[in-house]
Amino acid sequence: MHMANVMKNDRLIPMLCGALCVVGAFGVLELLLRFDIINRYIVPLPSDVLGAFGRIVVEEDVLARCRETAYEMGVSAILVILIGIPIGAVLYRFDSLRKALEDWIAALAAAPIVLAFPLFLVLFGRSSTTVIVMSIANGLAPIILKTTEGLMSTRPVLINVGKSLRLSQRQMFWSILFPSALPLIFTGIRLSWTFVLISVVGVEFLINLGGLGQLINDLAERYDMAGTYAAIGFVILVSVVFFVCLEHIERVMGRRA
Amino acid sequence: MSHAPLSTLAYLPKAKKNMHTAHLIRAVTLALLIIGWEILARSGLLLRDVVPSLVTIIASMGKLIINPLFYSNLSITSFEVIMALAIGSVLGIICGIIIGSSAFLSAAFEPYIYYMSPTPRIIFFPVMIMWFGVGSPSKIALGALSCFFTMALSTADGMRQIDKVLIRVGRSFRASLWHMAIKIYLPAMRTPILNGIRLGFGTAVITALLAETKLSNQGLGFMIMQIYSRFDMPTLYALLIIVFILAGLGNAVLGALAGSQK
Amino acid sequence: MVDDACASSHQRNKNGGVNNLDRFIAPSFCHPLSHMSTQISSSPHLAHSRHDVLVVDNVFKQFGGPLAPVIAVDHVSFGVRQGEFVSVIGPSGCGKSTLFSIIGGLLTDYEGEVRIGKDRINGPHPAVGMVFQEESTFPWRNVIDNVAFPLELIGVAKSERMDRAHHFIKMVGLASFEKRMPSELSGGMRQRVSIARTLVSQPKILLMDEPFAALDEQTRLLLGDKITQIQQELNQTTLLITHNLTEAVQLSDRIVVMTYRPGRVKRIIDIDLPRPRTSDVVSSDAFGHYVAEIWSDLREEASRGMTESENSAAQVHAHG
Repeated sequence: MHMANVMKNDRLIPMLCGALCVVGAFGVLELLLRFDIINRYIVPLPSDVLGAFGRIVVEEDVLARCRETAYEMGVSAILVILIGIPIGAVLYRFDSLRKALEDWIAALAAAPIVLAFPLFLVLFGRSSTTVIVMSIANGLAPIILKTTEGLMSTRPVLINVGKSLRLSQRQMFWSILFPSALPLIFTGIRLSWTFVLISVVGVEFLINLGGLGQLINDLAERYDMAGTYAAIGFVILVSVVFFVCLEHIERVMGRRA
Repeated sequence: MSHAPLSTLAYLPKAKKNMHTAHLIRAVTLALLIIGWEILARSGLLLRDVVPSLVTIIASMGKLIINPLFYSNLSITSFEVIMALAIGSVLGIICGIIIGSSAFLSAAFEPYIYYMSPTPRIIFFPVMIMWFGVGSPSKIALGALSCFFTMALSTADGMRQIDKVLIRVGRSFRASLWHMAIKIYLPAMRTPILNGIRLGFGTAVITALLAETKLSNQGLGFMIMQIYSRFDMPTLYALLIIVFILAGLGNAVLGALAGSQK
Repeated sequence: MVDDACASSHQRNKNGGVNNLDRFIAPSFCHPLSHMSTQISSSPHLAHSRHDVLVVDNVFKQFGGPLAPVIAVDHVSFGVRQGEFVSVIGPSGCGKSTLFSIIGGLLTDYEGEVRIGKDRINGPHPAVGMVFQEESTFPWRNVIDNVAFPLELIGVAKSERMDRAHHFIKMVGLASFEKRMPSELSGGMRQRVSIARTLVSQPKILLMDEPFAALDEQTRLLLGDKITQIQQELNQTTLLITHNLTEAVQLSDRIVVMTYRPGRVKRIIDIDLPRPRTSDVVSSDAFGHYVAEIWSDLREEASRGMTESENSAAQVHAHG
C-alpha cells in the first residue's frame, strides 16, 4: 500500500515537480517536432493530440463508445462477482475441494487465457459476448482466491461466538464469515475488475469490436495518428480513474476491519 | 509437546486425510472434464468441429510437433519474448533503482508508473508499429514496454525493502552510485528482481503473442491466426495447448529460480 | 478477624441453611487438616447441592491418540449455585480452557456430564452466555449493533432490541459510545461490549474465559468493579476461568483451584469477603490472607508446569 501512503501524505512538492517534468518533456517533444528534428509522421505534435481530444469527442462520438465499453465492463464485472464469490465460498466450505483446486485456480490466473481469443470467436461469434466471456475468464481467479482467503482468515474467536449463539450455517455465513471476509473480498474485486477492464478494452482492440478498443483500432487504421494517440490517452485516463476509485473503496473497506 | 495448546492436538490426524482426498478430487475432476469434453464432442450438439474430439486434438499436436513451420515460428516468438524481457527488465531495473533510492523521486514519478501499469498495454501497439514497423521490433518494443512497468515497480519496491543499514554502510565508504548499484542494491534485490522477471516473462509472452495475432506475418501468434482462418479447430486447440504448456513451463522454471534464491 | 471469617463461613450460604459442602471446603485456617490436597472429585454426589444451577459432574477429557494421551480434565466436579460467582483458577496448561469449552458446549466429546438445571449439555446451551478471552466484538458493527446481535437472531423487534441493548450498554458504562465502531475503542472497552452482548440475552449462567487477560492491572481492577456491580445487580450466576489470583479473590464467592495437567480439582475455597465489594477490598488483610493461601496451592502446581516445559524445551533443543 505504498502508493496509498504517497497519495495520503503531503508530498505535494515532489508530485508537482514530477508533473512539471512530465509536462516539460512533452514541451520539449513539441519543440523537437516543430523544428523537424523528429519525424512528424512517426510522432504527432502533442498540441495536435490535445486538439484531437476534442475532435474525437465530437466526431467519433466517444461517449457512445464509452457506453459500449461500459456495458461490456458492467456485465463482466457483475457476473464475475456473482460467479466468483460463491465458488470461493464453496471452496472454503469444502476443505478437500479447496486443497485440490486452489493451485489449479492460481495457475489459471497466470495463464494467458486471452491468447485463446480465436477459440472464443468461434464459440461465441464476433460479438460482445466474446468480449464479456473472455473478460470474465480473466477476472475470475483473483476473486475466487481472495474470497476463499478472506473467509479462511476469519478469526476463530468470532466463529466461536457464532457457535455459542447457536447460529445456523446460513446465519453463520451471512452474519459472521462474510462480513469478516469483506475487506479481502474487496481486494479480490479490485484485482479482478482491473483484469476485467484490461481484458474488455484489449479484446475490443484485438477483434475490432465494441467501444473504446475499437475506436483506437479504427483511428489507427485510418492513419489518424493524432486521433489514435488521443484515443489511447483517453483510455489511459479512464483506466486510471477507474483504478483510483477501486483502490479508494478497497481502503475504506479495509478500515472497517 | 507438553507445552502445545491442548486443543490443537485434537486436529492433527485430520490433515493427512485431507491430502489424500484432495488428490482424489483432482483425479476425479480431470476425469470428468475429459469425459465431459468427449461426450460434447461426439454428441454433435455444437457446430461441427467447434468441440473436436480429444483424439483429433492429440493427433494434431503430434503433427505440429514434427512440423518445421512450428519450430521456425516458435523461434521467432521466443526471440521476441527474450528480447522484450531483456530490454524491458534492464530499463525497468535501472528506473526502479533510481526511483526507489530516493523518496523524492519516488513521490514524483512512481505514481505515473504505478497507475499506468494496469492499463491494456496492447492498445499501444499502433504506436509501436508506427515507430518500429510491422516486423518483430514492434512486438519486442511492446513486450519491453509491458515488462518495463512490471520490473520498475517490482524493483522500486525491492529498493524500499532493503535494510537501511546496508545503504548506510555503502555511503560510509563513499561508494559512487554505480558501485552502490552493483555491489549493494543489486545483490540485495535478487528476489524481487527475479520475481519481477517471472511476472515480466508472463506479460511478455502474452503481449508478443497478441501483437502477432493482430498484425504480423510470422511467429506463433501469426500461426494461430492462420489456423483460425482455415477453421482448423483441432490444430487450433492443439497449438493453443502447446503454447499454454510452454508458457507454464517457462513460468515454473523462473518461479523455481526466484524461489531458490531465498 | 480470622475467627469471624471462620464463624461466618457457616452462615454463608446465600440460599439460607448450611449445606454439606461447607464442611468439606471451609477456608484453610479453620481446619487443621485442610493443608492436605482434597480430592473433592472422589465423592461427586456430595460436591453438589440441590440449589446448583450449573453442575459439572465427573468430567473427563483426554486428547491425543492412544500412543500419546494427554489428560486435560481429570474427573472434575463442582457446582455453581444461583447468583453465585465462582472462579476456576489454575496454572497455564491445566485444562481450564478445555473446561470452558466443555461447559460452553463447544467441545462435546468428553466423558462425564455437565448439567444446567435438568438439561444435559451437549452443545452450546441457550442458558449459557460465553465471554471469550480474545477480542470478540464484530469489527463491522457499531457498539449498539454488536450488543443487539443476539436479540436480532431471535427476531426481537428493532425498537425493543435497541432499548434492551441500550440498557446493558449503560450497565457496562459505555452509554456515550453506542454509535462508535469497535476500532475506536480501547481493548477494555471492547471487552465490555462483548460482556454486554452476552448479558443482553439474559443467560442463566455467565461463563467467562480470562476476559481481562490482555488488559493492564488498573483497567482490570476497575473492570472487576464493574463486573461485581453488574453481577450483584442482576444476581447473575457467573463462572469465571482465570489465572489471575487477585482477580479471582476480588470477584468470587468461591474459588475452585485446579492442579497442573492432568487438571483435577485441588481445592475449593469459600471467599468470605463482605458484599457489596469494591476494588478497595484488595487492600484488606483478609484479602491478603486468601491470596497467600491460594498462592501456596498454586505455586506448587505452577512450578510443576514450569519444570515440565523446561524439560521438554531442553529435549527439543537436544534433538534439534
